[in-house]
This record gives sequence, C-alpha cells and structure tokens, in this order.
Amino acid sequence: MASSATDSTGVRVAGVGMTPFESDSERALADLAATAAEGALADAAIDPGDVDALHFGNALAEALDEGAGLANALAAALGLDGASADRIENTSATGASAFHRGVDRIEKGDADTALVVGAEKMSAGDTRDVTEAISRLVHRREYAQGVTLPSFGGLAAGAYLDRHDAPREALAAVAAKNHANAVDNPVAQFRKSIDVEDALDSPVVAAPLRLYDCCPMSDGAAAVVLTRATDEDDAGHPAGPRVAGTASATGTHAVAERPDPLSIDSVRTAGERVFDSAGIAPDDVDVACIHDAFTVLELIELEELGFYDPGTAWEATLDGDTALDGDLPVNPGGGLKARGHPLGATGLSQIVELVWQLRGDLPESRRVNDAETAFAINVAGFGNNSVCTVLRA
Amino acid sequence: MTGSDHPVTDGPADRDVPADRAFVCDDCGHRWYYDRRRCPACGHGAESAATVRLETGAVVATTTVETTPPDVRAPNHLALVRFDEVQLIAQAADGDLSPGDRVRFDGSHRLRDGRERTDPRLVAVDDS
Repeated sequence: MASSATDSTGVRVAGVGMTPFESDSERALADLAATAAEGALADAAIDPGDVDALHFGNALAEALDEGAGLANALAAALGLDGASADRIENTSATGASAFHRGVDRIEKGDADTALVVGAEKMSAGDTRDVTEAISRLVHRREYAQGVTLPSFGGLAAGAYLDRHDAPREALAAVAAKNHANAVDNPVAQFRKSIDVEDALDSPVVAAPLRLYDCCPMSDGAAAVVLTRATDEDDAGHPAGPRVAGTASATGTHAVAERPDPLSIDSVRTAGERVFDSAGIAPDDVDVACIHDAFTVLELIELEELGFYDPGTAWEATLDGDTALDGDLPVNPGGGLKARGHPLGATGLSQIVELVWQLRGDLPESRRVNDAETAFAINVAGFGNNSVCTVLRA
Repeated sequence: MTGSDHPVTDGPADRDVPADRAFVCDDCGHRWYYDRRRCPACGHGAESAATVRLETGAVVATTTVETTPPDVRAPNHLALVRFDEVQLIAQAADGDLSPGDRVRFDGSHRLRDGRERTDPRLVAVDDS
C-alpha cells in the first residue's frame, strides 16, 4: 500500500444490504428499496431514527410510470422521521452518485448518519418501453440514427480488436470470467457458468458484440449506511471500511466527438482524481469492480484507469490476471454482466460487494484474499459521466 | 424584467438539421456536428451558426446492430466517420463498409419509422 494513502473523507461504511438482482422481481420498486435499506440498517446496527439523511438513487421511475417523490415515500416507510431526503439520478451511474452525495453530506458535517439506497425495477415496463427509455440516453442526433448503447459497444469492440490485434476470444473471456464469479454469489442474476465457446456462439447484438458480451436488464436494490469514521461505533461494533476517496468526471455527451473511439476521458479523469484523493496508485488496489455493461468496457476502463497499459488488458484477462485468484481480481461478484444491472442500484451493489470483500465475510470460493484497498467505477451512458470510489479496510 | 427582455431564440440545441450537415462557427469557421450553445474552438455563441454540407469522410469503425430500438430498421448498419475535424456516427446504406473506406452521404431515407423527414445515409465513394 502506498505510504501516502489517506482516509480523506473521514466517512466509513457502517453497514450494507441488498436484494437479489433478478430479471423480473415480484416486488414493487418501493419494496425492493425498503428491503435493501432495512438490511443495511440491520447490518450497521443503527436505528432508523438515527438516520438524518436519505439519498435515493433511481434512474427510470418516470420513464416507466413508477411515480415521483420516491425518497419521501421511502423515508416515511422506513420511519426516518425528520431526516433530509432527496432523489439522485445519473443514468447508469445513479447508484455511485447517490453514494457520493451521502459521503459529501457527512464529510461536510451536514449529517452524522446517511442511508443511501439505489433501486430499479426495469421489468415495470415492457421491453419496448425500457429499450426506448434507454435509447433516449444518447445524444439527440445519435438517437435520430437509431444509435443505442450496444451500438457504441459494437463500434468500440471492433476498433479495440482491430487496433490491438486481439482475438474475439478476449471479449468472451471477460464474460466467462464474470459469469464464473457469479456462480456462488446468492444475489447475482445469472449464477450460471459459461465458457468462451458459449459466448462466441451466442446471438449477435451489435457486431462483434454478442449476447453474452452485454449486461442484462434487471430488478433489484442495494443500500449502505454511512457514518463518521471512528475506531468503533457507538454500539461497540467494529468499524467498517473507510471511504478513502470519491471522484467523478463528465465526458462528451455524443460518443462520436471523442477523438479516439477507445478513449473515455471521463473514466481517465475520474480515476486520476480518485487515486489522487485517496493517495494511492492503481498498483495499490487489491480488488476492483469495473463497469462492464459490455465486455469491451471492462478492458477499456482497466486501461484508461492505469491498471494496464493501452492494448494489454485483453492479454491480462486471457492470462487470468483479472480472475478471482489473479493479481487484480476484477468484478468478483459477477459484475454488471452476471450480477445484473438495475441502473439505480448498480453503483451501490459494487460498494456492497467491495465492503463484503474488505470485511472478509464471504465464503472462500467468493473471497479475494487479504484485500485491503478496493476500487469501483460506475459509468453513465457510454462514458458521459464516470464515478469512482476507493475503500480501505 | 419582463419576458420580452430575454427573447427565446432557436439555438443549435433546438435545430433539427439534416444528417449530412455540420454547424460552422460564424466567427472562427470551426465545424462541429453535435449541438452546442457555443463554438467548441473559440467559445463564440452558436445561436446563429450556419450549417455546411459534409463532403467526403473516412470510416473509423463500423458495427451492425441486430437488436434495435422501436421504429429502427434491423439490422442497422452504423459507421463512425471522420470528416476533417468533424466526427459522427450515422447509418450506412449497407454493411459493406470497413475502417479506412472513404464515404459520403447519399439518398433519402426515413431513419426511424414514423418520422416525417428523410435523411441521407453513408455510402462508399467510388474512387475508380
């Protein structure tokens, strides 16, 4: 670990909770959110009456006619009487942005205990409605051309394989690795092992990306309780992981405006900022959750963040470096690819996974050994906005 | 202050221009494709920016999308193309384009079902 490492925010994660991620949950959005929140409060051994700030991340409620005023309704349902409450929306980086809001509130002294919840019920709309809502995330002139997020993935994947002379198997290996990590994760949407051939044989979505290169639509919720960092909390429970740094950055809205199709400035900038804030370097990270909405994104982000040199993440993946027992375990819970991607909850589910890893309270088949420093990146759109977090045990 | 003190104008963000048109700064001449309130090169206001037809560009990357959103053709052939300082993603007429190919906009097509207007698609330039 770098000698300059800091706990710059003075905030710790006192408790975490989440629901299973599913393709079609029987629970309503509010019920998913409340279940995850109650789990986090119980894990932190904190009474709802002690929460003075609630931040609720959700991306699609209006688009799917699930109503408004979600944070206020959740505050009432949980009995957070008098707490401040607001709703956060940052498309697929909503969860991490809500987490950052909670950290900021405590860091600035506006709150002592913050509950941050992210939830999404994408099955609330039919596939056509959800596809239309997501396709609206792109620039207006991109939308007119029928461009979608998988379209960007296909363009980037083709460019990546071409420029780096990488085999198609490199993308499939990302999918196979993340599916393998999800098999023993009880909250993962796909607890099914696949091999490289399965991924290579799946239907084309946006060439060269195939079905197994793409994350699913999901229902689910995740939550964390944040408190001021002390050695021991008031109830005598051991302190949880500390938030060593948070940072975010925007990029171009129109993906085509990026000079290089393999460059995502928001990822690189947010990464530089969070490593600087936490006083660490990429080499200090023991475990990472990377926003793998498409397999190629895991490779590009690992390179943009400085974990690997440009054009080498695919070889590292094929060599097993990013596997659970590799030098840099990436997406130990299955990532967006296999754990699932309920937009508002995804960033928080990354934090939940990393807290479990840092606390070491996972079975051996799921655990990264001796993890002390953890990193997460949650990305909006195809890099319009990137949100990074560093946690330390 | 009344509303008439701040007249609402149609800036680039509100202008629906054909697919083969880029905006051009009336102060420095810089071109851009995706709507902005100001010229990305010099910062000059873009409310009155004219548009210019894009001529010949080079393909940077391609994809063919099989799973398309409502009202969009399937498969949808797309290309990332560079026209000097302007770079854009647009529909290609077919799936035969490759990186490095020279292209131009041509034809008249309804890019999404239900739209009134039509736009050109990208086609290969015949250099022979």
